[in-house]
Amino acid sequence: MDVLLVAVLLFYLSSAIYAIITLTMEQPPARTNQRLRVLVAIGFAVHSASIALSWKQLGHFPVVNLKEVCSFLAGAIAAYYLIFVPRDKARALPIFVLLCSFLLILVSLLLPDEPLSLTLSSAISASPFTKVIFPIHVTMLMFSYAAFVVTVAGSAMYLLQERQLKTKHFGAAFRWMPALNTCDELSYRSLTIGFVLLTLGVLTGMMWGSQHDGRFWHNDPKEVLALVTWFVYLAMIHYRVTAGWRGRRVAWMAIGGFVAVLVTFIGARAMGGYHVFG
Amino acid sequence: MSIVLLGINHHTAPVEVREQLAFTEAELPDALQAMIQNQAAQECLIVSTCNRVEVIAETADANQLRDFVYELKRLPLNCFNSHLLQLTDAEAIKHTFRVASSLDSMIVGEPQILGQVKDAFHAAQTIGTVGHTLTRLMNRAFAVAKKVRNETGIAANAVSISYVAVELARKVFDTLDGTTVMLLGAGEMAELAAKHFITNGAKKLLIANRTYEKAQTLATEMNGEAVPFETLDKRLAEADIVLCSTGATHHLITSKQIEQVLENRRYRPIFLIDISVPRNIDPAISHLDNAFVFDIDDLEAVAEANLQERQREAERAELIVSAEAERFAASLAEGNLNQVIGVFRREVHQLATAELERTRKRLGQLTPEQEDAIQIMLNSIVNKFTHPIIKQLRESEDGHSPYLEAFREFYHQDKE
Repeated sequence: MDVLLVAVLLFYLSSAIYAIITLTMEQPPARTNQRLRVLVAIGFAVHSASIALSWKQLGHFPVVNLKEVCSFLAGAIAAYYLIFVPRDKARALPIFVLLCSFLLILVSLLLPDEPLSLTLSSAISASPFTKVIFPIHVTMLMFSYAAFVVTVAGSAMYLLQERQLKTKHFGAAFRWMPALNTCDELSYRSLTIGFVLLTLGVLTGMMWGSQHDGRFWHNDPKEVLALVTWFVYLAMIHYRVTAGWRGRRVAWMAIGGFVAVLVTFIGARAMGGYHVFG
Repeated sequence: MSIVLLGINHHTAPVEVREQLAFTEAELPDALQAMIQNQAAQECLIVSTCNRVEVIAETADANQLRDFVYELKRLPLNCFNSHLLQLTDAEAIKHTFRVASSLDSMIVGEPQILGQVKDAFHAAQTIGTVGHTLTRLMNRAFAVAKKVRNETGIAANAVSISYVAVELARKVFDTLDGTTVMLLGAGEMAELAAKHFITNGAKKLLIANRTYEKAQTLATEMNGEAVPFETLDKRLAEADIVLCSTGATHHLITSKQIEQVLENRRYRPIFLIDISVPRNIDPAISHLDNAFVFDIDDLEAVAEANLQERQREAERAELIVSAEAERFAASLAEGNLNQVIGVFRREVHQLATAELERTRKRLGQLTPEQEDAIQIMLNSIVNKFTHPIIKQLRESEDGHSPYLEAFREFYHQDKE
């Protein structure tokens, strides 16, 4: 499987390089975007095959340790880009997204494989229902993280450019970055999608818990942190809808929200609890 | 026969001189036809714009062509020679490429010139004064111009104030389609900028002026809506882009106003351009989120930086153009050389074959072996005879050795 993963790594890397080269061209060749998407799609297909293969070999959904989570998240980010990112507008975005996927796979390849813990194993295979709900729970959350990665990319591009427009010092990358409104829309759209997926992920987690041991809430650090993250994003959407907040303030909030995601993602591992896998 | 370019342009001559040599669109067909009919040129086309007049021709005598141009314009012979660029072959090719690529333009990289050169070529094509050589030259020039545009940034950035304003606004709004522009005051530059915004997609134009009648006049003229100055506070919220250029000596738009405007706009960004001196828009507005203010100096700084960027890119473009011009000149010369050599060999071979045919009667019936042997001998003699001469010709790289000229005379190859 690692061989397949190395192939995937190369696909994501070469698409990132293709995206960089065409971005800096005065006039990129025709159908650049379609070609890029095809390249990413092939990488994603190989990636999916490698995950399916692991699933078959291991007998359980293969996203139970950090190594596997990194790889799965990389795929989710690529898939998110293919499905949800509008076609032509933000030409600088794929670079960010693809480099993210590339790095995550690199990390995944370098991390050691940890065996499935007994507690988790029993939680997954407690009943036919938990066997089904586990992959759904994980997939929802991974895709919500992918959406938040795109949100952060949009926000970062917004902040960088906003700063240059305000200070009137235009750096080299200025020309290639999408317009402020495009960044803002992209960011907000991904934020909403990510929020919906996060909600579904948390809900499926609760359903799983209540099926497994009768409790939908365990006071697990990850659960608490996820709730905090959820409220941060809820607040952002609330102010956007009611007060029309947008621009710099929202971009900073999106970055703050992402820090909460990172803390949830990595921090919970350090704090113990049964969500230790990622 | 060579490619000749007679040119006069903003580098070589002031407008008083250029205008005397310029050809109007109506004059062009007759001028082109006259050049051909009077055998001043074999092929010709004329690019005539406000910055340049360039006669590009295939001719044997550049001086004769030049005299004929003076004659056409009813000017005394040689009167503007000091302003006139007279280039032949490689140099003429390079200049043509530079002009088409907008490297010779007043504002390097401006896009109109390529269209003007294309028009000139098509005009000459319609009248039928361009043939094989100039068609090749011009098609190559268009390809080079495209290459320069694609591979360098000479046309990438705006270098005029109003274009800079449009490009900066695009950095905020992505597209100007459907945006509303408010023009405050009647400064000429702001008006020009407003026109640029409209041609680039802005949907609505609001015009405010201290004197409402002035606003109304301008509104009729520019197809906008006049806005009474007293309602400015309210109407500002509609504007995505505000262009300001008045004679007022204080801030017409204050930070407090924009704060309110932004709230009314639900924080959709607003883009303000202040072309007035002293400034009419409070620069402190810059500190508000979603409000972007640029004054005349900001725009000029961007334009200046872009111009410098263009000039750097132009240096790269010059390299491309030089290389392409050399390649084209070489291929043209080689084409000429091969043509001459081909004709030479054919002629010698025909001579030998004719002699053989005359002798054949006396030879009687030959066996196939004998026939072959004679053919081989004949080819061998032709090759041995022509070889040192062809070698000599090929060694004259630029295709302009006295030998080549001599051969052209011998075999009358000019007409081909």
